[in-house]
Amino acid sequence: MSSHATVRSPEDRNSVRSPYGEFFRDGYVHRDLYVKQSLFDDEMRLLFGSTWVYIGHETELPNANDFIRRRIGRRPVIFVRKEDGKVDVVVNRCPHRGALLCRFERGNAKRFTCGYHAWSFENDGACVAIPLRHAYGENFRLEDHDLLKPARVENYRGFVFASISPNVPSLQEHLAGSASYLDQWLDRGTGQKVVVNNGSMTFTCHANWKTVYDNAGDGYHPPFSHESMLRVFTRRYGDDTDMSYFPSGSNEGPMVSRDLGNGHTVIDQRPAMHAKSAWMRQHVHPGREAAETAVFDRFGEAAGIKLLDASTGAGMNISIFPNMLIVGNQIQIVDPVSVNQTSIQWFSTSIEGAPVEINLTRMRMQEDFPSFGEVDDTAQWESCQEGMEAVPEMEWIDIRRHIATHQGRVDADGWQTHPITSDIHMRAYYREWLRVMNGAACGATRSVEK
Amino acid sequence: MLDMLASDHFAPDLADMPYFSVAWYDRLHAIVGYWLELREIPDDLRANPVDRTAAEQLLSTEARFLDQERLEEWLTLFTDDAVYWIPSDVEGRDPRTTVSWELNDRRRLEERVERLATERAYSQAPSTRTMHLYSNLEVLSFTPNVMHVICRFFIQTSLAGKLSPRAGWNGYILRKVDDGWRIALKRIGLFDADYPQDNNSFTL
Repeated sequence: MSSHATVRSPEDRNSVRSPYGEFFRDGYVHRDLYVKQSLFDDEMRLLFGSTWVYIGHETELPNANDFIRRRIGRRPVIFVRKEDGKVDVVVNRCPHRGALLCRFERGNAKRFTCGYHAWSFENDGACVAIPLRHAYGENFRLEDHDLLKPARVENYRGFVFASISPNVPSLQEHLAGSASYLDQWLDRGTGQKVVVNNGSMTFTCHANWKTVYDNAGDGYHPPFSHESMLRVFTRRYGDDTDMSYFPSGSNEGPMVSRDLGNGHTVIDQRPAMHAKSAWMRQHVHPGREAAETAVFDRFGEAAGIKLLDASTGAGMNISIFPNMLIVGNQIQIVDPVSVNQTSIQWFSTSIEGAPVEINLTRMRMQEDFPSFGEVDDTAQWESCQEGMEAVPEMEWIDIRRHIATHQGRVDADGWQTHPITSDIHMRAYYREWLRVMNGAACGATRSVEK
Repeated sequence: MLDMLASDHFAPDLADMPYFSVAWYDRLHAIVGYWLELREIPDDLRANPVDRTAAEQLLSTEARFLDQERLEEWLTLFTDDAVYWIPSDVEGRDPRTTVSWELNDRRRLEERVERLATERAYSQAPSTRTMHLYSNLEVLSFTPNVMHVICRFFIQTSLAGKLSPRAGWNGYILRKVDDGWRIALKRIGLFDADYPQDNNSFTL
């Protein structure tokens, strides 16, 4: 299960079997991966068409026939809870002339009827009515005109993924080492159910979608990119607050960055963030005093602080290849719009049955980093995009951190562990990127056909 | 609507509630619910010309301070228990169970201003130039010391020369304190809050 530290395929470079190998060399990736339109088109077709893609959480659809629109790459899909209570995914494109069947972001519907010629489909994709059918002749059968569906739809503890291609391992196998981190994220605190039905915020970023991945697992940037936030909090609340634990000197401390297989990674801040009390570290959200008083009054200080700690950020940035990130208590979908534009939707979460003060504190906590931190990161990605696009003479992007130091180790669970500021997260997802893209290009996987 | 005004739960200000307590949120949610259901301003709530002029002047000053990037002075227009709020939905969902783009108390608002002043806030380096236009002001007077203002806003922005607009409606609670009217709540209702947003790290 352990993996090489670098992305490379030197012997295959430019060969038929490795058509995408030319974009990689030891410790560097080529700018074309971020700026070239044809590569973006290939990614949307081959990468997002040949692997598991996160669709949403089942609690986003509480009732039968609820639906929400999502995407698999650029493919519009509808995430539905069917009449029988099961969740499913159908492609939101009329098989007739290509129109979007459903043009609303969310709602509740048993059937989708195309606005153009009124072809109608159950929310499980079955074609059930076509007006003036006689003109198609006697051999016409409704069941030949069902909606396209991903070949596979699977659910890991509420997280629903779909694969357009049938040639993928089981979802659990695909999630590899990340499954155990998803478990830890779901089971923290009192173990009550995590619910994803508390609104969301969507940021537009004028940069390639992979810049978001590059950052999500980057334990190197916080003291610098987030200097404004850290300065304010340090001045107000002292040195031992918020994300001040990220290293700015040569000692990288107890936090780690891990390659969890199949492109998934984690940066684990818990050894620093949860060392004492996560709640006591975090000083910024409105309503802190009111929530603390109410929770202590009701549960006592010892039990109360545990509840409050569990409402504070989870301390794990889990990056699931290729479009799902977990940061703090939020789930993000990274939604590529074009080669240099991305939508990043942050879903807020709550705890089922938790005291109202806990969940409302959780809401405010989930506004903290997006407004004081994410905005500065987004500015960096947009700046990177501008520089990468504008200077063709500088072809290579540096992802070398902690290759030369040999500080990586393979832990007991079999996954590779690096110091927190490593670029191992980029090397890991690009290795998977290359594997999937080459495989798809060489016909190892194929799109489902009806 | 009038039923809501008559109910024991409705009060036009948040002043006497513990700041950001559950009961405070109850009150806040009821006020926003009232704004969302408001079809016509009841005649007996229309502010008299003197109060209306005071509200217009306060909001004009507020907009001008923002456009001039005089954020320290902008803060002085707010009460000690002020709220600066940008919901992430357009339906008026309960902020106790729904995440917002921003829901700042006074302390957080001060931190926002401090952050922008560090010169290390890269999302605002250079800073976004703004032109705040407030229009269609409707001013409701509840007591001699409490007014609400509902208005449309249009903010033209330029970030390093790249133009982009913001639009929506603001709801204000204004409160008279010793030396004049102050803003107790500014709720910024982006009309597309539920869709992808560009860099909103300036002050709306």
